[in-house]
Amino acid sequence: MSCHKAGKLVAIVDDDDSVRGTLQELLRSAGLASRAFESAEGFLASGHQQETACLITDIRMPGMSGLELQARLNAERCRIPTIFITAHGDEEMRFQALRAGAVEFLPKPFDDEVLIESVRAALER
Amino acid sequence: MNQTVKSKWATGPAISIARRYGLAFVSVAAALGLARVFMHFHLPQPFSAFALSAIALTFWYAGTAPGILAAVLSSIVRDYLFEPNTSTESRLLFDLVFLVFALLMTRVARARNQLELRVAERTAELTQLNDDLKREIAKHNRVEAELRLSEAYLAEAQRLSHTGSWAWSPPPGDIRYWSEECYRVQGFDPKGGQPRFEEFLQRVHPDDQARIAEVIERAVRKKEEFEFDYRIIHPGGEIRYARSIGHPILGPSGDLVEFVGTIIDVTDRRQAEKERERLREAQADLAHASRMTTMGELTASLAHEVNQPITAAVNGASTCIRWLTRDDPDLAEAREAAAGVIRNAKRAADIINRIRSISKKGESNRQLIDINEVIREIIALLGNEAHRYSISILTDLGANLPKVMADSVQVQQVIMNLIMNSFDAMKDVDRKRELAIRSRRTEDQYLTISVTDTGVGLPSEQTNRIFDAFFTTKPHGIGMGLRISRSIVESHGGRLWAADNSPHGASFSFTLPVPVEAPE
Repeated sequence: MSCHKAGKLVAIVDDDDSVRGTLQELLRSAGLASRAFESAEGFLASGHQQETACLITDIRMPGMSGLELQARLNAERCRIPTIFITAHGDEEMRFQALRAGAVEFLPKPFDDEVLIESVRAALER
Repeated sequence: MNQTVKSKWATGPAISIARRYGLAFVSVAAALGLARVFMHFHLPQPFSAFALSAIALTFWYAGTAPGILAAVLSSIVRDYLFEPNTSTESRLLFDLVFLVFALLMTRVARARNQLELRVAERTAELTQLNDDLKREIAKHNRVEAELRLSEAYLAEAQRLSHTGSWAWSPPPGDIRYWSEECYRVQGFDPKGGQPRFEEFLQRVHPDDQARIAEVIERAVRKKEEFEFDYRIIHPGGEIRYARSIGHPILGPSGDLVEFVGTIIDVTDRRQAEKERERLREAQADLAHASRMTTMGELTASLAHEVNQPITAAVNGASTCIRWLTRDDPDLAEAREAAAGVIRNAKRAADIINRIRSISKKGESNRQLIDINEVIREIIALLGNEAHRYSISILTDLGANLPKVMADSVQVQQVIMNLIMNSFDAMKDVDRKRELAIRSRRTEDQYLTISVTDTGVGLPSEQTNRIFDAFFTTKPHGIGMGLRISRSIVESHGGRLWAADNSPHGASFSFTLPVPVEAPE
């Protein structure tokens, strides 16, 4: 299944309710609309990946991890610009993510300016 | 024949009076009998000769009075039975002869009696002397046996304690006494005889010789005690460690007579001390590693758990600022975002206060364990530590306790933590340091384990706070031990609490639930 980047949707995948919610609010305060999913499986099942222009995802989640999600999308030839946010980021994980095409790798908590700049950059591609 | 009969009669020093006087009658009667026999065969008249013999015999064997009686009897017998018809003159003459003979015999008997008395006296003296000598010898033998026994005990004590004793006179003197154990410690053959001082010094490790010589030289000069440690090289090349102590013995005028002292082989003791030190270090490493592992796991979990609400709070704050700094600030949105910040910050605080949840999430390997075995293992591990601080450990472990479903490593950590806390609490107290560990089945479905000490006790008015994270009364503590312990116990479905131990110290107890169908 191929992936046509048709829309301008920002997708958020994080298992933590409060992080997910506040992230959505942050983007809204910057004038960016987004959709939030509590798991990678949920995002894949939603069928929104075609219209997603930027993906913000946690790495460690119950079930499929953020890196696995990235690999799955890559395998489906659906290279969505992806921003990883994680509390557990080590250098190895960071390299792996960037090599697989991640646009940013942010440790939690992150600077809102950096995140929003990255999202905007991804949307303008 | 006459004589033999009489002498037989007279044997023995104490002849009774009856016998003595009886002898007078019997001997005179015998003389009369013999004379009658002679007359029968018409032999010459012999009575007087026989009578004299009878008188002499009686005097000799029976004494003076019976002798005189014999003389009188002889006179009567002769006058009335043998020669009743002789003239008065001849009768008187015969009587005179008897009288003179009796007097002579009196002297002889007296002389003999005196002699006998003297002999008896001397004999008694000699017997006394002999008895004294025998007693003296027996006493000497007894003392010698005691001395030998005492020496044997001393030699055994020297062997057991590897301590030899010696006496040494400074030059021009030499070693004067060298106990058996000295030979052994110093590696000399006892058959080679007492070593000379130079030989002793030759056995000392070359690096120690000069130092020892100097110590001894100074002690001799100042007439004072000395003490030094040194190494001995045995003939086989084995190196032993020894310590020698010397004490000066001074004469009446204050001059140095000799040194007496000991040589102690401390090789084994040194070895044991090293072993103990190694064991102690290993235990310290283990305890440290165990604490670090707990801390490491806890930190990782804590970091993850706390990071989420902090991230959310930061997001909320960023959102709030964005709403406020817009060209057209939206206060309602900003307020909403700020409320989110508060919510998430509180959540972060909640997580820190509920570390229990972390130990619940942590990998746990629960099995049926024997709590007494766990306690015994820990006591074995901490025995040296207790010894080091002079703490005695008393155990009162309940018999036939059911096994409990628990993670033995975690339970070990709890018990070890409680014991280490007690050790810390007792390190600086001067009274009796006693740690009591008790295990019991309580309320039927719980085991209660308590650790009681005689330490400084609980901080007053802060008893409840001791379980808070990061609360500590120790200069180097981080205040996690009791918090983690309580989390572990609660994750097992038990409780952990503290109480004062009257009159001194504290008591920590925790419970673990007994499985419903616990194998007894």
